[in-house]
Amino acid sequence: MAVTSDPASGSLRRDDGLLRRIVAHRADYAYVLPALVVMMVVIAYPIWFTIDMSFYKTPASLQLRDRTFVGWKNYETILTAPAFWSVTLNTVIWTLASTFFAFLLGLGAALSLHREFAGRAVLRAILLIPYVISAVAASYLWKWLYHSDFGVIGALSVQWGFTDKPINFLDNIHTALPSLIVVNIWREFSFAMIMLMAGLQTVPEQLLRAAQVDGANAWQRFWHVTAPHLKGVSMVTVLLLMVANFNSFIVPYLMTGGGPAGASDIWITHIYQIAFGRQNWGLASAYSVILFIVMMCLGYFYVQALTRGDKGRPE
Amino acid sequence: MTRRNDPKGPGKPLSALSAAVRTAVMTGIAISPGAAIAQEAIDLSKWSPEYVRAIAGTAKFDTAAECAKTVPLDYTGRVSVWYTGPADAEPEITKKFDKEFWEAFQATYPNIKLEAQSIVYNDLLDKLRTSLLGNAGPMVVRLQILGGVEFAAKGYLEPLKPEDVGYTTAEFWPGALKSVTYDGATYGIPTNNETMGFIYNAKIFADAGLDPEKAPATWDDVVAYSKQIKDKLGIAGYGLVAKQNAGNTPFRFMPQLWAYGGAALDENLDAPTLKSVGLNSPGSKAALQASYDMYVRDQSVPVSALTNTQAENQSPFIAGQLAMMIAHPAEYAKMVDLAGKATGKDKEVADEVVANMRYGLIPAGPDRRAVVFGGSNIHIVKGEYVEGGMDEMAAKALICFWTSPEWSTKLAWVGSNPGNLRGFQTEWMKERLDTIKFLDVTTSMLPSGIPFPAIAEAPEIMNIIIPDMLQNALTGKMTVDEAAEDAAAKVEALLSGL
Repeated sequence: MAVTSDPASGSLRRDDGLLRRIVAHRADYAYVLPALVVMMVVIAYPIWFTIDMSFYKTPASLQLRDRTFVGWKNYETILTAPAFWSVTLNTVIWTLASTFFAFLLGLGAALSLHREFAGRAVLRAILLIPYVISAVAASYLWKWLYHSDFGVIGALSVQWGFTDKPINFLDNIHTALPSLIVVNIWREFSFAMIMLMAGLQTVPEQLLRAAQVDGANAWQRFWHVTAPHLKGVSMVTVLLLMVANFNSFIVPYLMTGGGPAGASDIWITHIYQIAFGRQNWGLASAYSVILFIVMMCLGYFYVQALTRGDKGRPE
Repeated sequence: MTRRNDPKGPGKPLSALSAAVRTAVMTGIAISPGAAIAQEAIDLSKWSPEYVRAIAGTAKFDTAAECAKTVPLDYTGRVSVWYTGPADAEPEITKKFDKEFWEAFQATYPNIKLEAQSIVYNDLLDKLRTSLLGNAGPMVVRLQILGGVEFAAKGYLEPLKPEDVGYTTAEFWPGALKSVTYDGATYGIPTNNETMGFIYNAKIFADAGLDPEKAPATWDDVVAYSKQIKDKLGIAGYGLVAKQNAGNTPFRFMPQLWAYGGAALDENLDAPTLKSVGLNSPGSKAALQASYDMYVRDQSVPVSALTNTQAENQSPFIAGQLAMMIAHPAEYAKMVDLAGKATGKDKEVADEVVANMRYGLIPAGPDRRAVVFGGSNIHIVKGEYVEGGMDEMAAKALICFWTSPEWSTKLAWVGSNPGNLRGFQTEWMKERLDTIKFLDVTTSMLPSGIPFPAIAEAPEIMNIIIPDMLQNALTGKMTVDEAAEDAAAKVEALLSGL
């Protein structure tokens, strides 16, 4: 790689040799070295261990040291199992639906709260409650609201004449996952709201006024002025929500445990059951590696979104 | 309390009487007030509520003297132990006996340094697994009845049988010993054993036109009664529990499965091989069909059964909205506790439920009457996996103490029964029978107890495959036949090592 430097500033540029850049920034690297070592121990080693374990069979009757090497067999088992595809479909539905609706609700709330009105601070605080409440508490709360025999929602629907018996939310294979998604959206939209409210602060007021003077209606002002300014923060928000949803565990595990009959089983709950329920560490590791690859892809896009515009910046 | 610690401490001369008493016990003779008589052997073939009452309080035992036979009372050493101690919500008497046990052990073996750690039920297995990987386990561990098999299979446990701590195999339930037998060797000693009972609300029975003083005799009766209650009163009949990955589910479904002649493997046989799969047998399918009939056809059980554990049955039962359920003897105390916390009209209802609470035997089926043989066992970990090395004598002293007639009775006070059969002859057993309502009913179920298969794969079969089978059938995802065949195929694949 050609080594070039900025003649004006004398600083190194991105297309300089890696080694030369490291040498030039040796003090910086020295500062981050302790953190790097800690990360190697607590993050890199478990990742390597998991990848290594994914190539072994670990029956419940043997110690881990007696595991047997099976090559790609665990991956083959996963990819040929019907459960993998149903769990993957559940995960995709869960992630996309939760992310999309949480973002949409968050955007609506952010736009509403961006305007001055009486009681705005109180309303903002109220809307933040789902985000700050413990996921465990929220899960149990919603479990009882949804309860198929004695749930508040079911009782009200009967009392108000919408249904003749309580609605079966969590004990039905067709309604369990959508019911959990509603809970997840309720928990996450506040996060999107906070992020987007911060983004709205960056929209220049004079541009909005100019558009108004030019005769743009509310939708046109939003679409042509506000939305482009929110693009960056929206991307970050969506990516963070997707990563969080791919890794969701507490809500589905506590409310249905992945049931009934696997109807709300997503990757994380499935991996947990294989590892801690079935003690099949090899298979669970292979599942985790697949999930890790998906997360790395998402992470790549996240970093790209975060560092957009950094390229031309001198180091 | 008759535990006789030598007041002078170990190594000191014993009084003539005390020495005589200890010698008598050490030679297998029970001590009766005033005179030493030959101990009457417990006859398991006579087991019934009446027999349990008749033998209670007929003998006295000297724990210190019995354990001194295995480990001298002046032995100096160290023992580390992990177990699940009483939780905050448990009755005071449970906490009291737990405290007294440790104090008594220290008073009896003052030179043994004790390192006891109570770990909550849900964390104990995972913590033990992790610690053993790092050779940092305890010397002694008490686990729930099926917990030890995995560790025995993996080679973490030392062989341990009652004779190793001064007792005999005949002093323990054969079913309990099956649960600590892996590959022909015994790896632990039962500390306590329990069987559940069938609980019902007599008032609901009467309101539905059923005999309020007669529990359903068969599982077919349960199906019929449940439907009758739902049809006449509009409330749930039987408290079906079918949650995935929950231990409550097999504890309530397996008695039904065995009663119809089914099995997970062949654990229902007197001499099981644990190699053949029984989940697709006609008996297993009949049991599954009965659950399907209650949940889908009759809709006479809670809709929430698929996400319920037994804990979720307690509220509707105390509210008079559920008629029948399977639970521990301690369930009565729990209901009394719930009624005490209720207020206003709810309290009236709850008090009425408690007054109308009845226990019956778990219903029989075409094949037999059956119940899960539950409880806990105590094990010794191999020295190479123990933090700080093994002290076998100290470990044996603790296990002898724990599994003695006295302490296996006291430590199982509210919800279980002594693992050591001689515990049934103690005065404490008599006191329990006098003070714990319905204990005689659940205790009399013990001979019908079947332990879960003692193989390392049993937790996956019981907690995952069987609940999955139920859910597949009850949600309509599969037919009853398909669900049973699917579960059997999964077990076969598991056993074949796939």
